Amino acid sequence: MTRLLLSLAIGLILGMALGLGIGYGLFPVEYINSPLTLLAESYRDDYTVMIASGYAVDRDLTGAVERLRALEVSNVPAYVQVVTERYISQGRNYADIVRLVALAEAMGRLTPLMESYRSAVSP
Amino acid sequence: MANRLRISWVALLLGLIAGLALGLVYAWVLAPVVEYNTLPYQLDPTARAQYLAAISLAYRADSDLGRAVERLIALRLPDPFQALADTACGMFQDGFQSAAERNAIEAMIVLYRSQGRSGCADQSGIFTLNQSTPTPLPTAIPSTPTLTPPATKTSTPAPGVTPPTAVPLHTPTTPPQQNEYTIVNIPTFCSTAAPGVIEVYVQLPGSGEVPGVEIRVSWDGGEDHFFTGLKPERGLGYADFQMEANRTYIVELPGRSPRSTPLTAGPCTAEDGQRSTISYRVIFRRL
Repeated sequence: MTRLLLSLAIGLILGMALGLGIGYGLFPVEYINSPLTLLAESYRDDYTVMIASGYAVDRDLTGAVERLRALEVSNVPAYVQVVTERYISQGRNYADIVRLVALAEAMGRLTPLMESYRSAVSP
Repeated sequence: MANRLRISWVALLLGLIAGLALGLVYAWVLAPVVEYNTLPYQLDPTARAQYLAAISLAYRADSDLGRAVERLIALRLPDPFQALADTACGMFQDGFQSAAERNAIEAMIVLYRSQGRSGCADQSGIFTLNQSTPTPLPTAIPSTPTLTPPATKTSTPAPGVTPPTAVPLHTPTTPPQQNEYTIVNIPTFCSTAAPGVIEVYVQLPGSGEVPGVEIRVSWDGGEDHFFTGLKPERGLGYADFQMEANRTYIVELPGRSPRSTPLTAGPCTAEDGQRSTISYRVIFRRL
């Protein structure tokens, strides 16, 4: 009886370890149908750049805010400021920064860090 | 004594199965991995439509088709440009209520029509697409020497009416053709299932493929541009082009590879004895 129980326990432990390895490592749950809010930061940033690019063409500030609201950030202008300053500090694509700065400025979030990029926008 | 320590294999197996089941239930149902770092292809249809609109708006601003394609590839759609057309159609049929939505639909039409797709939104004739002359910001940016490639800048003044004393350092240099990719091989095949197809593979030096690479196929009187990665089921570095029978084509990665030898869509006999049109497999590899 002890032999049976011992074997069962060993099997159980090994099986659980295997199951957890498969369930968390090899084949973890993959989510689909996710909202924009859960997007990875790099893609959220890129989405913000895309919206800023759209704003550069249509100058529709309400539309840009509406689109960024889909990210469910608590304060859209503050969020744009943070992304813009991050892009500047990381030395990202110049044209992207210029467009972000234009959007941040339109939202009243122009900071000294952005000034040099702002001059490139205004003709 | 030795007998008492022996393992019961049946009990071990039963335990293993039960443990495996328990482990999987725990990992998949009771405490699955927390969702974070969601990728674009995991977005729900509403969010995907918003993302597609954003890609289109950005394309209208920068005219950078390569970048738009890279972003579309991240959505892993079977035919991203048709998905754009369908999404724009859906937005149009739902009744767009704001200027922002109208702008988004117009931007989407510009992008998908550039790749020969069509949908109910552009067929409606409601949207004005004549403002598809983008790049407002790059022109607004004043002189930014770091952004402009020096090779083209130096070549333009040369043919001007400047006296021969000008640019002594630059004139002797011939424009170096720096290829990033080389053509490894162009095998042919004959198939009735895929007659007259140019299959393009863009690969990395070791293993791996490169998505979002622009390919140009040219023939007498025309050319077409398309990108790798738009048929993810065939591989991220894959793209194909349908040839017309008896026409000759040249394939290249514009500005990044040499041109292929002329590829003629001539007749061939398939393995089953049926007549077909010859197909080519052009393999580019990064240097």
